[in-house]
Amino acid sequence: MSRMLLIAATALLVTACTSRESPQTAASGGPAASAAQQQSAGPGCTRSRTGYPQVDVKGATVGFSQSEKEANPFRTAETQSIRDEAAKKGVNLLVTNAQSDLNKQISDIKSLLDRGAKLLIVAPLNSDGLQPAFDAAKAKQVPVITIDRKVTSQPCTDYLTFIGSDFVEQGKRAAQQMIKATGGSGKVAILLGSSGNNVTVDRTKGFKDGIANSGLQVVAEQTAEFDRSKGQAVMEQLIQSNPGITAVYAENDEMGLGAVTALKAAGKTPGKDVKIVSVDGTRSAVQLVADGSYTAVIESNPRFGPLAFETLEKFARGDEIPQSIVISDDEYDTSNAAQKLGNAY
Amino acid sequence: MTTLTAATRTKVLQRQGAAVALTVMVVVSWLTFPRFGSLDNLRDLALQGSFLAVIALGMTFVIITGGIDLSVGSLYALGGVLAAWGSQHGFLTALLLPLVVCGGIGLINGLLIARTNMAPFIVTLASLLFARGLLLAITDEGANTYQVAPDSAFVELGRGTVAGFGYPIFIAAALCVLGGAILNRTGFGQNVFATGGAEQSAILMGVPVARTKVLVYTMSGTLAGLAGALTAAYLQSGVTVIGVGTELDAIAVVVIGGTLLTGGMGTVLGTVIGVGLIKVIQNVINQIGTLDSNYQSVVSGVFLLIVVVLQRILRR
Repeated sequence: MSRMLLIAATALLVTACTSRESPQTAASGGPAASAAQQQSAGPGCTRSRTGYPQVDVKGATVGFSQSEKEANPFRTAETQSIRDEAAKKGVNLLVTNAQSDLNKQISDIKSLLDRGAKLLIVAPLNSDGLQPAFDAAKAKQVPVITIDRKVTSQPCTDYLTFIGSDFVEQGKRAAQQMIKATGGSGKVAILLGSSGNNVTVDRTKGFKDGIANSGLQVVAEQTAEFDRSKGQAVMEQLIQSNPGITAVYAENDEMGLGAVTALKAAGKTPGKDVKIVSVDGTRSAVQLVADGSYTAVIESNPRFGPLAFETLEKFARGDEIPQSIVISDDEYDTSNAAQKLGNAY
Repeated sequence: MTTLTAATRTKVLQRQGAAVALTVMVVVSWLTFPRFGSLDNLRDLALQGSFLAVIALGMTFVIITGGIDLSVGSLYALGGVLAAWGSQHGFLTALLLPLVVCGGIGLINGLLIARTNMAPFIVTLASLLFARGLLLAITDEGANTYQVAPDSAFVELGRGTVAGFGYPIFIAAALCVLGGAILNRTGFGQNVFATGGAEQSAILMGVPVARTKVLVYTMSGTLAGLAGALTAAYLQSGVTVIGVGTELDAIAVVVIGGTLLTGGMGTVLGTVIGVGLIKVIQNVINQIGTLDSNYQSVVSGVFLLIVVVLQRILRR
């Protein structure tokens, strides 16, 4: 009996873990493969300043530490992009996946160093807590590029640079699309991402700043934790409490897709009666844009490979590397979604 | 007499099963992967194992009494956050605060389980949720991570080394030796075995079953808090995302180490071997490199299954 109960409890826990994992995953949101633009922020970092040896990217052993399971489109596209670019550059790539376990990511990075990685690309699981891994890389004079999630450690000293999206900008662009689609007036509901997450905070701030001078009015904002089924449930409630909603801003595609289901069930036509804009650029959402039942999708670009290796090459040449590099995000609306569908991930 | 011999034989077989598997794994990896045996790699293996070993030590006692403690993963994370928060008030606060709070939650677990006869998994499932909730509350839903000053004495506890081997390794080793001694050489240790072996008979024989249970859950909570504190010192911050599912890892290594889930039998050494096995499997999968890291769970799961099946067979 007690054993059966244990199994039941275990199953419960496993489910709990999984559901806790997915919002985190989706949190990083994803984007498309356009040419990357660079923005410098703060003083740059040069090889002479770090005193690191010159490592030619071609033929080098490069380690890539992924943070979470490649179980969602963003992570899949991110890892694939690193792999593809490594193959193109003739790099011997070592890949690990921390499976959402911070201690595992630290030992993953240490083992990459131990296996001879001379350059590292890290998708951090968390903003804090990777210091022991950075210290190990520093001790071996291995430059570390962090992608998609910014860490609190020191750029240039603990890691070389951070490559990621500007989440505030994504929110602003979503606001522009919303203004364009609604003509600048209406009642907007915001489906927020997970609380206490910088992606949520930034995408909310950008959107609200973006609509500040328009006639759009935020009538409701509730978290759906980057989750599709929660997005649907929250949207169902919002339709009941605010029948006059004319627009929905979802902070990731998954929640937006949930909202579409809820709106249809309530007899509304998403994309027409109720405009929907979300951030990510997943194939399912962009497909809906192309079909006309979704308004627009702002991309969060997961294709860090080209920019990451280019940065490593520049560092090897002795160029100055900015503290953070913004990856360019595309956007999909009804005018281009059909042509650009191939870029969605 | 015959039963005793059979029991002893079973015990030896179970313990050696995991030990043999670990030895084979280590020897094969050593020969196959040139970097497996590198000092850096072994140091990291030991360090990574030490945090889990501290948690699993408490779990060993709990499982030998026939119980289970699902709260340790959350208490581990909570301990880390409390330690990082406490570090601004000095070394002692950083170390003692998590021990007191997590030990306190363990004490409540123990009291509820021993005094009300509620099922351990329900009680500790409740504290799993409670502790994780408390952690999110004090960190502003995980948005606020407390940092430990890099030059503080507390960081030294997690980052300091002797011959390159981190302090947490020695702390975990000392605790396991102490735990093994308590389990095998003290009256309390006998009570732990008696409680799990045959609770009703133990009560009839005058074994303080309730007190023993309260003590093991308090111990388990305290050790989880300590592991959290050590981790916070090592990571230099109270990371909120750790410890999810760690209770299952702890249960797995205890069982792999030959401790019976039904209670009454088990060793600390077995648990240490179990920790070693799990960490070596993880390391080897990294050494292979081309293997998807999902296979780590697959391999660990298969090991666990084999051990549990063997336990079942050997018990008869």
